[in-house]
Amino acid sequence: MALDSLCGFSTSQPAFKGFSSMCTLQNDLDVFTGNFKNNLQLMNPPAAHIPELEAMKVDYKDPLHRERKTPYGFYKTPLGYGPVEVPDVGAVTAPDSGLKIKMAHGTTTLGFKFKGGVIIAVDSRATGGMFIGSQEVKKVIEINDCLLGTMAGGAADCTYWERFLSKQCRLYELRNREKISVAAASKLLANICFHYKGYGLSMGTMIAGWDKRGPGLYYVDDDGRRAPGNLFSVGSGSTYALGVLDGSYKWDLTDEEAQELGRRAIFHATHRDAASGGVVRVYHVKEGGWEKISEVDNDKYWEKYSGDKMPIVIN
Amino acid sequence: MKGKNCVAIAADRRFGVQLQTIGTDMDKIFEIGPKLFVGIPGLATDTQTVHERLRFRTNVYELRENRPVTPQVLSAMVTNLLYEHRFGPYFVEPVIAGLDPKTNEPFVCGFDVIGCPCEPEDFIVSGTCEEQLLGMCESLYEPNLEPDQLFETISQALVNACDRDAISGWGAKVYIIESDKVTIRKVRTRMD
Amino acid sequence: MATGLAPEIPSGGFSFGNFQRNLSLEVQGLHPPKAIKTGTTICGLTFNNGVVLGADTRATAGNVVADKNCSKIHRLAPKIFCCGAGTAADTEMTTRNIESQLELLRLNMGREVPVVVANRLLKQMLFRYQGYVSAALVLGGVDKFGSHIYCIYPHGSTDKLPYATMGSGSLAAMAVFERGWKLDMDEAYAVQLVRDAIAAGITNDLGSGSNVDINIIRRDEPKTKIIRPYEEIGLRGKRHGKYTYQKGTTKVLETEVIPIVVEEEEVVQRMDED
Repeated sequence: MALDSLCGFSTSQPAFKGFSSMCTLQNDLDVFTGNFKNNLQLMNPPAAHIPELEAMKVDYKDPLHRERKTPYGFYKTPLGYGPVEVPDVGAVTAPDSGLKIKMAHGTTTLGFKFKGGVIIAVDSRATGGMFIGSQEVKKVIEINDCLLGTMAGGAADCTYWERFLSKQCRLYELRNREKISVAAASKLLANICFHYKGYGLSMGTMIAGWDKRGPGLYYVDDDGRRAPGNLFSVGSGSTYALGVLDGSYKWDLTDEEAQELGRRAIFHATHRDAASGGVVRVYHVKEGGWEKISEVDNDKYWEKYSGDKMPIVIN
Repeated sequence: MKGKNCVAIAADRRFGVQLQTIGTDMDKIFEIGPKLFVGIPGLATDTQTVHERLRFRTNVYELRENRPVTPQVLSAMVTNLLYEHRFGPYFVEPVIAGLDPKTNEPFVCGFDVIGCPCEPEDFIVSGTCEEQLLGMCESLYEPNLEPDQLFETISQALVNACDRDAISGWGAKVYIIESDKVTIRKVRTRMD
Repeated sequence: MATGLAPEIPSGGFSFGNFQRNLSLEVQGLHPPKAIKTGTTICGLTFNNGVVLGADTRATAGNVVADKNCSKIHRLAPKIFCCGAGTAADTEMTTRNIESQLELLRLNMGREVPVVVANRLLKQMLFRYQGYVSAALVLGGVDKFGSHIYCIYPHGSTDKLPYATMGSGSLAAMAVFERGWKLDMDEAYAVQLVRDAIAAGITNDLGSGSNVDINIIRRDEPKTKIIRPYEEIGLRGKRHGKYTYQKGTTKVLETEVIPIVVEEEEVVQRMDED
């Protein structure tokens, strides 16, 4: 009672519950640090469970029309990691912000299988709007010695969930005394994406690796899609990359040719796409694990790739 | 940017639609007189329209008055042209740089989208990476630079500002205007 | 003269040609660049021998300081001046327009134009545009009827006041005025009060900054005293080091030099007599 109610703070807001005798330190810890204990326990997007907002007809669309409201406003994940029961901490973003969080989006990533394994090549630019936040982001996530993941879309979503995937893959190895297959690993990620479908995750990734079935390459994205394939490119510059890739791709490329093709495709994509740029990173997944082939600022490639073939037009 | 008895004006050369780069050889700086240039960044269609209209008005002025357009006159013309479109503006923010035809006094002037003139004693910036440029110029600029040094300063300001803007860059053109010559340099920048 | 080859420059007035286009561009997500606003502290007051006007010198475009030393006190007539707040282009063009109208009027009438006429012209112009020309003005001047301060709002309403403030820093400035204003102030006190008011705006309002400009219009003097800057308040820190690039830092792809040939030519023109 007293101060918080006098000031008009609702006591149902746990932020002000610290004054009440009901709240223990442990409870506070659970509330505010919940997803450190169990990282599947992400909160519902705040707009989904605020009665006032619902009354205001803030329509938070769930494409699956699921019942999202648990007693505490959290979505219970069906993975068996159901969130521990934590009181609703209310809106974490201002109600009128309408969940529009700006995230890094522009990217060019590509991956293709060929006779010598899988090539993964990516750019390294992070943009916020038109501002270049960083020119040297690592967009290849090294899940383990045999698995690589790429990053396109929300940087945080990709790093978080692929790191989580890394943990799951290791647990799988310990449980089954066997390396996880690329198919299984990509399915773990796809399942997570599907659980959170419609919740605003933003990721377009490729999972590449080598398992007992040979080279593997899967595309996984935020609405739960998962597809095996020989050649993918993801991100805002993907069309440009595919243009180069499709032009010279064939199964029988030598290792050097394949690496060069990936590099060149990324280079040309970064030239045309404003949201891609920085360093070209090329990885090669071979039997026994991946290898980082090169990591060179694409400014260094400009003369090599364009100088001789595309003379600068003087007008 | 003003220097000692000289001015410089520079612009990148990208032509693009949103994130897509269509061309890397677009001129955004136009000659109005031998020592007078105007840079018109903004929506490409308006860049061209505004340039053509300015060319028309300056030509008519020179025919009627039989004297060259001074930077001040051009400034008034740009202001009037843009302010005529106060309620439906051209999406451009022009920058004028030049030397007075008689006195060779350096002159730079910038405008907002509806033609508010801004005539500083050092430099003026405009366009999508205006904020980055402002930061670069504030730290690099010194008064009374010689033409060669002015070139380095303005080029480095532009190149480094463009490197933090996704939709600027892809080459740059730098004009150094002196009383007896104009030096145009194409500058190498990052191409991504 | 109007031929297809050389069409006449269109007569004055606004052109709405791009309005519809811009509307549809905006729908497609292409927003126009921000216009420069003055985000201002301006003020004026009368004292026993005339009028003092004051203004800060910051112009802003969004969060960016677009101009650190812009002039916000506009001349309308030798002894009528006008401080402008609001959209910078609007205050600039409105005052320029009224300035020429006043001069034409003076030439027509053959005598000094009183301040009230300037006020009337301004309010009629602003009212015509229904507030879309966003100029908030403090008009001050001296004529044979005395010293006058008018407050003119963007929609065209006006106040005649002994002391007035406008712009985003008007509250800070008015606080100073309300405390310090007296009847029959002398010039030194009035100027100090205006300086304090603008300084209060500069230090307390984020939209105002840099210098204090002051104009003193005295009744017994034909010329207005323009003090610009009167005082520099928002001073910038001094840079100690130097960022000088060595020659050759910038990689040049190609260079073109256009020499300027100076044509010395004396043109004698005779005016036609008609």
